Amino acid sequence: MSAIHPKITEVLTHTFKVPAAEIHPGSTMDSLEMDSLAVAEFAVLIRETTGGDREFDQLPKDATLADISRFMDTAARSGARVGGAAAMSNAR
Amino acid sequence: MNRPAVAVTGLGMITPVGNDTESTWRGVCAGVSPARTVAGLEGCAIDFACMVDGIDLDAAIGSRASFRMGKYVKLAVLAAREAVTDAGLDPARWDGSRVAVVVGTSSGGSASLTEQAVVLDRLGAGATSPSGILLTIPNMPAAEIAIQMRATGPSMAPCTACSSGATALSVARDLLVTGQCDIAIAGATESIVYPAAMAAFARSGAGARRDGDPAGLCRPFAADRAGLVMGEGAAVMVLERTDDARARDAVPRALLAGTGATTDAHHPISPHPSGAVAQAAVEAALRDAGWTAEDVEHVNAHGTATPVNDATEAALIARVYPHRPPVTAPKGVLGHCMGAAGAIEAGLTVLTLQRGVVPPIANLDAPAPEFDIDCVTKQPLRRPIRRAVSHSFGFGGHNAVLALQRP
Repeated sequence: MSAIHPKITEVLTHTFKVPAAEIHPGSTMDSLEMDSLAVAEFAVLIRETTGGDREFDQLPKDATLADISRFMDTAARSGARVGGAAAMSNAR
Repeated sequence: MNRPAVAVTGLGMITPVGNDTESTWRGVCAGVSPARTVAGLEGCAIDFACMVDGIDLDAAIGSRASFRMGKYVKLAVLAAREAVTDAGLDPARWDGSRVAVVVGTSSGGSASLTEQAVVLDRLGAGATSPSGILLTIPNMPAAEIAIQMRATGPSMAPCTACSSGATALSVARDLLVTGQCDIAIAGATESIVYPAAMAAFARSGAGARRDGDPAGLCRPFAADRAGLVMGEGAAVMVLERTDDARARDAVPRALLAGTGATTDAHHPISPHPSGAVAQAAVEAALRDAGWTAEDVEHVNAHGTATPVNDATEAALIARVYPHRPPVTAPKGVLGHCMGAAGAIEAGLTVLTLQRGVVPPIANLDAPAPEFDIDCVTKQPLRRPIRRAVSHSFGFGGHNAVLALQRP
């Protein structure tokens, strides 16, 4: 499976102003020029979608967007809290 | 004192009446305040303000870094870009080690700090932003401008509350005069229209309470003035030694001829009723510029529309400038942009010198009868102005005055 979770595309384009043309299943945070702070912020925003206890930093550093999408799907299936945070954080 | 003259070679502004210098000037000259009800302030005792409008700040910033910038940072970055372009400078080509950045703010990112406190309380630490500190600390406007423009000279964020902008320009002038830089990007920024700040502001008693249309509420120097109206915005200038500016064929907009600063050391909010210490700041600026009081042809007043500020300042103006130069007070239109106000008003004073136009004070028919000052009302006053002063008097008693003149 190589689809990109729509939340990833939304966060990358909306919050981090990554051009949509650069967003591919094989892209990594490095290839998208996301620095460590940006990656940490990205993780918070993704966690708002997936909920759950699985932390984003379990992923390898060179994880692709396809890897992150699979991680999110798995986290979502494992249940746990979903939503609630989206309206609050990052609302500047 | 034998000291190199300092020129304003670039100007950038983003304010409640315009997202650049020209639209701001037009809006201030029109004399109509954009104060309005603000959606995020429902239930607050003061639920209105003058807001920067009609711009997608993130799109305007246009970089992957905007996520880590509070609104106060974004406003400053946009104003700085306009100022540097206006100066005809290109950060890709300058010697960044000779460029200083001095951008003040009063409250920095207190808005984001408050948001993060709510997230922490409701959702826990895991939901808070890893950028929480960057969204909060007051030096980030200067730092982000330096990063974007590769300016590696001295940088800092002066904080003297409502006079921070005037203080920043004064500090930048000193960095140029003492040879610590060749180009200074200097100004101030503020954005604190959020519920906790507006609640505190209302409770302090300084804010005007709603009484009909908010646009008519800020009435500097009026007999029925009711307090200040909150604004937000940023203004940034490029300053250079005049000789350097001329050497690269830049055309100065104005000269920063003198600066003066004093501290009331009296009360955190109320100005000293005698106005003597604020007057000492005016006199210091005039002395620094080598002017006499009679040289001053225009006063851009602090004019907050609070009962005490305007009474003290009107008496000061009448005392120091008995020849009655025309007075304007941009806060009638813009509201009080707090830390940014001094920089915005200095920018407007520069435009007055360039264009021979003094904007009118909004919402004012005539000054209170006890104020013996010549307020510009209703229409812009067209008159050549060679020398002007901009007054800034901040919470905490920080007085800062700039003397500006035509090149």
